[in-house]
Amino acid sequence: MMQIPCPFCGARNESEFSFGGPVKPPRPEPEAVSDADWTAWLTQVPNPLGPVQEQWWHVRGCGTWLTIWRDTRSHDIVEGPGDGN
Amino acid sequence: MPYDVTFTRLETQALYDLKGPQAALRDWAGDALPDFPNRPNSKTETGGAALMFIGPDHWILRAELDAEDALEAALRPADAPPEISIVRVSDTLAVFRITGPDAVEVLAIACPMDLHESCFGADAASFTEAFGLRSLVTHCKGGFDIAVEQSFGPMVADYLTRITT
Ligand SMILES: [Zn+2]
Repeated sequence: MMQIPCPFCGARNESEFSFGGPVKPPRPEPEAVSDADWTAWLTQVPNPLGPVQEQWWHVRGCGTWLTIWRDTRSHDIVEGPGDGN
Repeated sequence: MPYDVTFTRLETQALYDLKGPQAALRDWAGDALPDFPNRPNSKTETGGAALMFIGPDHWILRAELDAEDALEAALRPADAPPEISIVRVSDTLAVFRITGPDAVEVLAIACPMDLHESCFGADAASFTEAFGLRSLVTHCKGGFDIAVEQSFGPMVADYLTRITT
């Protein structure tokens, strides 16, 4: 079980959160990129072996949406919300 | 062996969901509210009303049901300015009071938070999980109050009956 750092509540059990998916790169202008790149942006979900940036919703707590970097090899949260600021 | 706890489902409580900037809420509600708690997931109490800081720009006001009419008149939810939201939610939560020597043991299983006084002080109030349900947990004299969505009330009453018999 992961402990996820919520900026309002502090570290809380993963079970209090709902997974919001990985953070996608910024939406490209469809006319300005190739069909392959546009299709890739639409359909490919970031799934690296290593740190991935993802969103979580503290739905059973305070309701905050937050962004963390999680290492997919270890589940370590390598960067919490606000750590990069 | 049953746990040595007593539980009661409290009568419906007067509950108001308050959202918006604290200063705007204070300007609008004035003396109708206790002082605003300044730490996340804590509460203040005045004259039987508790104000709980449950999320960013988000509070719950809880009082006995017979205070509801006076609160409604003081808070004037329908006339509130657009930057704040005041909603009566008295019907939405079922509150269970769990007390007795094993109350802490029951909550240790039901809730993933560390509820020891050193982490979860007397003035703490937080949404978390209890029995896998979103739940507002606070201390009460000799135990804990847990508030779950009203429709789960009978299910939680059943859980608590099973662990006490
Ligand atoms: Zn939170």
